[in-house]
Amino acid sequence: MVQLALGLLAISTLAALLALLLEAAHAVLADYGECRISINEGQKELTVQGGGKLLGTLMDQGIFIPSACGGRGSCGLCKVKVLEGGGPILPTETPYMDEKEIAEQVRLSCQVRVRNDLAIHIPEEFFLIKEYAAVVVGLRPLTPNIKEVHLKLVDPPEITFKPGQFIQFQVPAYPGCPEPIYRAYSIASPAGLKNEIKLVITRVERGLATTYIHTMLKEGDPVRVNGPYGDFYLRHSEREMVLIATGSGLAPLMSILHQMADEKINRRATLYFGVRCKADLFYQEEIQALAERIPGLSYIPVLSAPAPEDAWEGETGYVTDAVARQIEDASNMEAYLCGNPLMINAAVEILVSKGLPEDRIFYDKFA
Amino acid sequence: MGRFPVYQSPDLDEVEQRLRSGLQYHGYLEGDPRALIQILTEDEKAVKEAGLFHDAIARRLRRLTDAAKKGLGDPVVVEERFRVRIEAARGKLPCPWGHPGLYPKTHVELERLDTGERLQWTDLSIHFIEAHGFYQGAQSPYRLDPKKVIGILGLQPEASSPPIPPP
Ligand SMILES: Cc1cc2nc3c(=O)[nH]c(=O)nc-3n(C[C@H](O)[C@H](O)[C@H](O)COP(=O)(O)OP(=O)(O)OC[C@H]3O[C@@H](n4cnc5c(N)ncnc54)[C@H](O)[C@@H]3O)c2cc1C
Ligand code: FES
Ligand SMILES: [Zn+2]
Repeated sequence: MVQLALGLLAISTLAALLALLLEAAHAVLADYGECRISINEGQKELTVQGGGKLLGTLMDQGIFIPSACGGRGSCGLCKVKVLEGGGPILPTETPYMDEKEIAEQVRLSCQVRVRNDLAIHIPEEFFLIKEYAAVVVGLRPLTPNIKEVHLKLVDPPEITFKPGQFIQFQVPAYPGCPEPIYRAYSIASPAGLKNEIKLVITRVERGLATTYIHTMLKEGDPVRVNGPYGDFYLRHSEREMVLIATGSGLAPLMSILHQMADEKINRRATLYFGVRCKADLFYQEEIQALAERIPGLSYIPVLSAPAPEDAWEGETGYVTDAVARQIEDASNMEAYLCGNPLMINAAVEILVSKGLPEDRIFYDKFA
Repeated sequence: MGRFPVYQSPDLDEVEQRLRSGLQYHGYLEGDPRALIQILTEDEKAVKEAGLFHDAIARRLRRLTDAAKKGLGDPVVVEERFRVRIEAARGKLPCPWGHPGLYPKTHVELERLDTGERLQWTDLSIHFIEAHGFYQGAQSPYRLDPKKVIGILGLQPEASSPPIPPP
């Protein structure tokens, strides 16, 4: 027993020493000098200091690749094609790749170290992603649990995004959160307002970002955001639309409705908004104002647990129950969903059962 | 699936450092001065003494979580004994052990109807138990003391659980 414990101790110590040695060797010996990164067949050429991970190196050069785990190799979002110079794919990457991606030289950019010249390929829209310095110009409680955060962009002063897309908000280090973290928030404001954005943020139990945003963030604070990201946006078609939101999931749908009003897109559309009780409803006046500008828009708020004082006479139950009651045949519709992930699963099931093909149901897959 | 018992290693030191210094707001080891290995060992012992395995506890919590999901955020009564409710935020978070995989940001509350006893956990808590035998520090908001969990959920010794091979 004692021998076994001593053996394990020796192995542990050896492993620790080796890890230290490797780190030290990397710090002392790993001078990779300048490296060139050619992006999309020379569309952009970068000269960078080698040695860093591709994700961070590109970020330092103002090219943002989506990431949800801060480069820890656990979200699988930071995929780019490394056509030359990336070396063999690592075991930390393969769990996130299918055979086709491996054949196409797709890599996790947070795992690839820049050791030599690289040729990479990234989707065109990544070039639109920028980092913005902004300032908080308004903080407004919308419900007991949800706040509207209004930001004015400073540098660069304007953003171009598709309504429905999201940004990553940087929460700075604070006591209890020793390093800056990024979280995704959908843009609620119209795309036409280029120098400001509004976010709608729900407080989450023990949440690192939302605790900061709900209890520490103040008007006048400088903040950093980057984006836009995501492929949740209005598709061009004439189909009738069903829009379903719960809680702060209303945010991207508000931006889409603003787009419909501004661009005079008068498709038939029904917005279902599910919350627990009347106190959880928000943006009611804004929705009424939009309904006046979009003649084809109907609005159905649904309360799952109305309080007696709510004297509620509208739809009750889960928002998905209301959808099931109201829609007979969804086969010619298009659906836009945002909110509680459990609601999304239930809504997809109901809409498919009503004949809507899954490729016409849109939502942020990663959420 | 995890391998138990867990031994001290440089990897575990790193995990402990992450649990303590990073992301303190999550409070994984809040108010608990014991070393991680000691917390893991003592909880492992409590589970063994009850004739159970970590995966049996995780399985039970997962079944209750699945039942709560049917309520889409509203309370649901399960087996006429428990009231469970789940909140599910958008987004997923990585495990502080640092391996691939992301876990939904959920918050489940359970109340035992006859005694009023309460428990709370998240999807990450279930993963912690199943893969790392980790029930969190004494003052953690999501501490799931094995004896308390086994008592409240009425878990019985499970001889049928597969024996876990030694590391
Ligand atoms: C594309 C996209 C768009 C989004 N848009 C919006 C939006 O418009 N509005 C909005 O409000 N949100 C939005 N989100 C969600 C948002 O990005 C964050 O995920 C959310 O705000 C929670 O972040 P947080 O840092 O507060 O919580 P985190 O700190 O990241 O996570 C908190 C969760 O971690 C778990 N946890 C914490 N401590 C423990 C512990 N000790 N043991 C076990 N588990 C624990 C619990 O599940 C807890 O709920 C969006 C997400 C995505 C992916
Ligand atoms: S950034 Fe998450 S896997 Fe690379
Ligand atoms: Zn883990």
